Amino acid sequence: MTARFDELIHAPTRLAIVSLLAAAQWADFKFLRDELSLSDSALSKQLSTLEAAGYVHIRKGFVGKRPRTSARLTTAGRRAFEGHVAALQKLVARPMLIVPEPAGRGSGQGDRGTPPRAD
Amino acid sequence: MNDSKPASTDAAGALAEIQRRQAQVIDAVLVPGWYWWVVAVAMVAIGAAADTKRPVVLAVAIPVAVLVIAGLTVGMIVGAYRRVQVHSRTLLGGRGAIAIVGLDWLVVGVGLGTAFGLRAAGSRIPGTIGTTAGAVVLVIAGPAVMRYLRGLMLSQRAGGTAWSWRRQSAGSISDPEPGPAE
Repeated sequence: MTARFDELIHAPTRLAIVSLLAAAQWADFKFLRDELSLSDSALSKQLSTLEAAGYVHIRKGFVGKRPRTSARLTTAGRRAFEGHVAALQKLVARPMLIVPEPAGRGSGQGDRGTPPRAD
Repeated sequence: MNDSKPASTDAAGALAEIQRRQAQVIDAVLVPGWYWWVVAVAMVAIGAAADTKRPVVLAVAIPVAVLVIAGLTVGMIVGAYRRVQVHSRTLLGGRGAIAIVGLDWLVVGVGLGTAFGLRAAGSRIPGTIGTTAGAVVLVIAGPAVMRYLRGLMLSQRAGGTAWSWRRQSAGSISDPEPGPAE
C-alpha cells in the first residue's frame, strides 16, 4: 500500500462519507444522511463530487414504488481511501518534524526536522 | 477546501474521525442488547409450555414464541441489510463465523443438556429449567460475542490496519515532506 495524501477525500464531510462507505459494501442514502446529519442536498452534492472523481458508484433503483438510492466505494475509491489513511498514519507516526528556531540563534541552515538539543 | 497537508495533530484527528465513522457502520449492523432478552424470554416460554404437556398451551405458546424469535431475527437482518451492508466476509472472516456458530451451539448445548439431565433425574420441570439455563447463557454470551465481533470488524475494516500505525516503520510516501505550519 502506497501512502498518498488525497485532498479530495480529506475535506471533512467527504472524509466522513468515504469512511462510512469504506466499512460497507454499500450504504443507503438515508443511512448516510442520518449518520452524517446532512441535508439531502448537501449529501447529494458531496456524493456527486466523489462520483465525478470515480471514487463512488451511485445506484438508483426502486423498492416497490419507492425510489431508493445507495452508494458504494469503487475500487479506485477504496484504494485512494486506504492510501489516504496510510498517509495520515505516516504523518502521525513521524516524530517532531518542525522545530521552531529560537529567535536570534543559529545560522538558519535548516535545522528543520532535527530534534531539539538537550542543552 | 484546505489545500495543504495537515499537521500530525490534524492527521490524528482525521484518523480518529475515520475510526468513529467506521464504528458507526459496524454498530448499525450489530444486534442490540434488548434482542437477547426478548429471545431469552421466548425460549423460556417454549420450555415452560413444553413442561405443561397441555395440548392447548403447546399449540399456542410454542408457535407464538417461535414466531417472535423468527420475526424479530428476520426483521433485524432485513432492516440492517436495507440501511447498510458490510463486507461480512472481509470484516468477520472465519473467526467471526466461528464465534456466531459457537454461541448457537453453546446455548443449545447448555439448554438441552440441562433439560435432558434433569429429565433423567426425574425433575418435573426440565424444560423450564433447561431453557432458563440456555437463556442465561444467551443474555451473557450474546452481548459478549457482539463486543468481540465489533472489535474484530473494527480491526479488519478498510484502512483499519490502521490502528497499527504506531508499529508502522518508515516507508514510501508519495507526497513531499510537510512544510512548516502555516
